[in-house]
Amino acid sequence: MIRINNLSYRYKNGNNVLKNLNISIKSGEFAAIIGQNGAGKTTLLKNLNGLLKPTNGHVLICGLDTSKTKTSVLARKIGFLFQNPDHQIFCSTVFDEIAFGLKNTGISPNEIESMVYNAAKKVGLESYLKHDPFSLSKGQRQRVALASVLAMETDILVLDEPTTGQDYSEGLEIMEIVKELNKHGKTIVMVTHDMELVAQYAKRVIVLMKGTVIEDGTTEEVLSKEKSLAQSNLKPPQAYLLAKKFQKQGFFKNTYTVEDMFEEIISYLGGEQNACND
Amino acid sequence: MISIKGLSFIYNDTKEPALNNINIDINEGEFVGIAGPTGAGKSTLTLCLNGVIPHFLHGDFYGEVKVDGKDTVDNGCAKIAYSVGSVFQDPEAQIVSTRVEDEIAFGLENLNIPRIEIAERIKESLEMTGISELRDYSTSQLSGGQKQRVAIASAIALRPKILVLDEPTSELDPKGSLDIFDTLQRLNREYNITIVVVEQKIQLLSEYCSRLVIMEKGNILLDGETRSVLADQETLQRIGVSAPPVTRLAYMLKKEGLYQGGFPINVEEAYLMVSKVLSEKSR
Repeated sequence: MIRINNLSYRYKNGNNVLKNLNISIKSGEFAAIIGQNGAGKTTLLKNLNGLLKPTNGHVLICGLDTSKTKTSVLARKIGFLFQNPDHQIFCSTVFDEIAFGLKNTGISPNEIESMVYNAAKKVGLESYLKHDPFSLSKGQRQRVALASVLAMETDILVLDEPTTGQDYSEGLEIMEIVKELNKHGKTIVMVTHDMELVAQYAKRVIVLMKGTVIEDGTTEEVLSKEKSLAQSNLKPPQAYLLAKKFQKQGFFKNTYTVEDMFEEIISYLGGEQNACND
Repeated sequence: MISIKGLSFIYNDTKEPALNNINIDINEGEFVGIAGPTGAGKSTLTLCLNGVIPHFLHGDFYGEVKVDGKDTVDNGCAKIAYSVGSVFQDPEAQIVSTRVEDEIAFGLENLNIPRIEIAERIKESLEMTGISELRDYSTSQLSGGQKQRVAIASAIALRPKILVLDEPTSELDPKGSLDIFDTLQRLNREYNITIVVVEQKIQLLSEYCSRLVIMEKGNILLDGETRSVLADQETLQRIGVSAPPVTRLAYMLKKEGLYQGGFPINVEEAYLMVSKVLSEKSR
């Protein structure tokens, strides 16, 4: 789905931000890209949608080489949700905002209408289509931005700090929608600093440091690389650190959310509790 | 140090009050965290503390706000700036100079502080925020966390008794966020500066603040010692405010009747809790 071969990127000022990256992301994956400020995460994302073209190497999106493909064609393959929805929204109704990308593709108005409705429904805003996006809450505006990306029906969805600037429950809403999309086969690439988010949602984690990949593996594998995480100014989530303290006693293997720990405690104590109830 | 009585504020062109009869007293030397969902009025409250409301942002203002004994309606922003330093979410919007040293001098020059004293205060505020080595740096080459600490240094160069910060870590990675809160803790402990900080990352607040204020829809819902506020998980979950994961775990265990003790906020405390819960099986 995404193939990055020997990708290097150097800005005009000579800053070598990405150095010989090799990453391959398959269809249906949920990958998180983490790393400290300045690790090259944003530059990498801009290389995925063709906003930046590799200085060396290749980026292939669904087999299309980004340096030889128009960004409008790439936009049908890979959708982007940015941190701040207000940088992304500019139409006066939710409908127009969601329809905007579709109108430039030659799809018939009838078809557009149903595609917009479907996208709005996925984010729970189908009854807001006539509203002005700026009359909605920030969390809702982020969902409008997500719907306009979803309307393009791309196979890949890229999220750049999807929960920053939103409160906890708004962030959770977005992530639950994304989780559902992934379940239905959409490939998700998420850049974030939030290790709780990584532990809860991502299945694969890629750690970038100074423009190179220093870790790439399942969430479980990468969370155990405390040294690499510390180098990147990151800390494993609380639940992971807590679970680890009990692993010698045989508890909480492969557990990195408190919800999973809770389930395990319940089933561990369960036998005895049933006995009590009898 | 801060006394707010019956404060309500309605922005021009809106109907709903952004703040609705707020009453709160904050003593000298407190480290207070403010959290709450968007639209709670957190930012509006910080703007009332530094006088931006009512002097620059207009609307219907009811009640009384006193900082360091000064009424914010009777005193202009410049006078209030001697008592209250402000740091906002986005340091880019706050930094105006090209060199770190000039940035810190900027506020002082505006207050007509003598030249020799300006030099002293620059040195002092850089030391207090732990960024002395950045003095000659160009502001454009700083990282987000460094910029935010320059913004804090500029604010404390005015020697305020109170520092008010609105989501100072929102653009920062976890280490950068910790650095900011370490800096705030130092200013609070060593220099007795009263800290009021709005922050979404509840885990940071729980580790550093002695007092937590939870707001929703213009009201203060909870106000008290950090741990006792976090213990009200029912209210926090209802309004959609997160808690440290281990505090959430305690809440789940309590609901099942498996745990009766206090709420942990860190891994060490949670270890004791889970050990206790698991040991119930062998009994």
